[in-house]
Amino acid sequence: MSAFWLFVIILALAALGFILGRSRAISSVQGDRRLLHSLPNYYGFNVAMLAFVPAVLVLGAWVIIQPMMISSQVSTHIPAALYEDAGQLNLIMSDVKRVADGLDVAVAQGLMSAEGASQLNTETTDVRALLGEVGVALGSDVDPSVLNAAQEMRSKTTSGNLFMTIVVLIVAAAGFVAAMLKTRGDFRARNAVEGGVKALLIAAASIAILTTIGIVLSLIFNTITFFGMFPASDFLFGLTWSPEGRGGSEHLGILPLLWGTIYISIVALLVAVPIGLFAAVYLSEYASRATRAFAKPLLEVLAGIPTIVYGLFALTVVGPLLVNFFGADGLGWMQGARSVMTAGLVMGIMLIPFVSSLSDDIINAVPQAMRDGSYGLGATQSETVRQVVLPAALPGIVGAILLAASRAIGETMIVVMGAGAAARLDLNPFEAMTTVTAKIVSQLTGDSDFASPEALVAFALGMTLFLLTLGLNVLALYIVRKYREQYE
Amino acid sequence: MNDMTKIERALEMNDMKISAKNVQVYYGDTHAIKDVSVEIEDKTVTAFIGPSGCGKSTFLRCLNRMNDTIDICRVEGDILLDGEDIYDKRVDPVQLRAKVGMVFQKPNPFPKSIYDNIAYGPRIHGLARNKAELDEIVEKSLRRGAIWDEVKDRLHAPGTGLSGGQQQRLCIARAVATEPEVLLMDEPCSALDPIATAQVEELIDELRQSYSVVIVTHSMQQAARVSQKTAFFHLGNLVEYDDTTKIFTNPEDPRTESYITGRIG
Repeated sequence: MSAFWLFVIILALAALGFILGRSRAISSVQGDRRLLHSLPNYYGFNVAMLAFVPAVLVLGAWVIIQPMMISSQVSTHIPAALYEDAGQLNLIMSDVKRVADGLDVAVAQGLMSAEGASQLNTETTDVRALLGEVGVALGSDVDPSVLNAAQEMRSKTTSGNLFMTIVVLIVAAAGFVAAMLKTRGDFRARNAVEGGVKALLIAAASIAILTTIGIVLSLIFNTITFFGMFPASDFLFGLTWSPEGRGGSEHLGILPLLWGTIYISIVALLVAVPIGLFAAVYLSEYASRATRAFAKPLLEVLAGIPTIVYGLFALTVVGPLLVNFFGADGLGWMQGARSVMTAGLVMGIMLIPFVSSLSDDIINAVPQAMRDGSYGLGATQSETVRQVVLPAALPGIVGAILLAASRAIGETMIVVMGAGAAARLDLNPFEAMTTVTAKIVSQLTGDSDFASPEALVAFALGMTLFLLTLGLNVLALYIVRKYREQYE
Repeated sequence: MNDMTKIERALEMNDMKISAKNVQVYYGDTHAIKDVSVEIEDKTVTAFIGPSGCGKSTFLRCLNRMNDTIDICRVEGDILLDGEDIYDKRVDPVQLRAKVGMVFQKPNPFPKSIYDNIAYGPRIHGLARNKAELDEIVEKSLRRGAIWDEVKDRLHAPGTGLSGGQQQRLCIARAVATEPEVLLMDEPCSALDPIATAQVEELIDELRQSYSVVIVTHSMQQAARVSQKTAFFHLGNLVEYDDTTKIFTNPEDPRTESYITGRIG
């Protein structure tokens, strides 16, 4: 039986459990609901929960683990003469899988019996042509050992599935019966369901955390592999970035990329922080209620624009505009439309709503009593804002700025379109430069071998970015904690 | 108004500090203060008493135009400080508030050091020529706020780290530091325990030497202890205004009597 139908059966069992559990609870107290510890629905939910959850967990684990186990068992039967390393073994195993799947399809279409499929022989049948008939195309003729492995895989999968069906149904039934036996008037079903809800919440939180840990671990291991192929010191301190160097003399120095990232981010923050902060001060301290209600959502629309649209804007509007002033016809500082300035300005515009919206909320959270105290001493509005409100809001504002900085460092599309792809160490903001993110994109798009240093360097770059933004976030948290004022 | 009458009036009201005539206050459509006239004397503690929502805090906030910060609030009538109309267009409310200081119900020290809290007003108004003078102002103010001994060793610790009673005395010292002529206090002791209250009351009595103090309070005992004049507000009206001893021993209006004996309010 397939996993899907098994799931449907468990679901039906849970629904049945809800109805039966509920009615059993009511009948156990002769229909007087007041004698029940919990509301009748809780007894129903309890039965449904115990029938459904353990069975589905077993099912899910089985579906994931069984193919892995079978494939590792089968792969030991592939003769060592056929492959040299793990990569080739993987290719053979994927062939085995395709042949096995093809046989499944052929049996399902009635081209051969299940028995016929297990007794197939490469010497008597052209397996490739046979599978071609049912729409499974193979790259080459099927090796006898591959066919054998595929047949072994099929038989193991079949018996495994049967076993899975039995086990899952037993688990579901056991949960069902156990819960039904417990369903009596004095059973605390409400508390049991409450425990189930708590477990669900914990599971959701753990999935989020475990995923993060998984991503970080994959970054770390791939980075270690990369450093096995390429010296770490050349990566960390190299001043040149030219992955397609002639005669194997490739340079994968991160410094030009890091410099580009930081330079563009600084330009972006120089644009975003003053404008965003002043906008926030105006909106929260000076603007009338009506203006605020109108202007704040409008400003937040900026945050909803996809970054690719900003990139387009950088490429078609801001770049040419800058060239008019700073290009060959003007000051002569700028070669083309793509430059640090182009990307930085546009990224700054993108970040304005981040800074302004967060700062606005933070400034609003400063108690009115602070302002009253300052006005009561004869301070003007701007003195109050500068000397009382902003210092009180400072930790939050710094947090907002660091958050914006993390965004700037991680931004990709605007850089790809606005700053170009030339990795360069230069001080001129009108030169084209590129960032870590843009280079990760260009290293992984294309058809380079995934095991080569040119591709693996992307993980090292990603790791660097991750550490950079992590550092900024930790710093932001530290500042917010250290300088947070406690208001009653 | 010619010069003669101005001088005459100045002589007449020699120790009148604030004189309010026919003051009306509206919050939107609500008529919060109805036709209130009060003369507040210099170097005197005047107490405003009355049940919650009777308008005493609103009236207090009219005296330094703090109500200007509320959009929907509208004030009519004349309020004269030393004979000058404070609602005149030529009067800068910011300057006015430097002359008429205010202490609020909840202690609201700024998130700065104790020193900077006190120095805030003098710095804004340029009262000190140099650091030494500023130090002197800070020390003098803290002494007058009766908190110097408690904080002199930690002037650069944050003001928010003090206890509630210390914070309120810090706020009073902060208000005193700008050398106001009148000090308005809006229920300054409502967030304090009895010991801190006693300290603040003692302080109010000392401040009377140099300032005119107006205090809003819910505690009739407090009004009786600290004030020389008492005004009783009820439903936006000024019911009775007289010497404190008279109000508490021999009130003229039956409503005042009911309130101070605890029958209404």
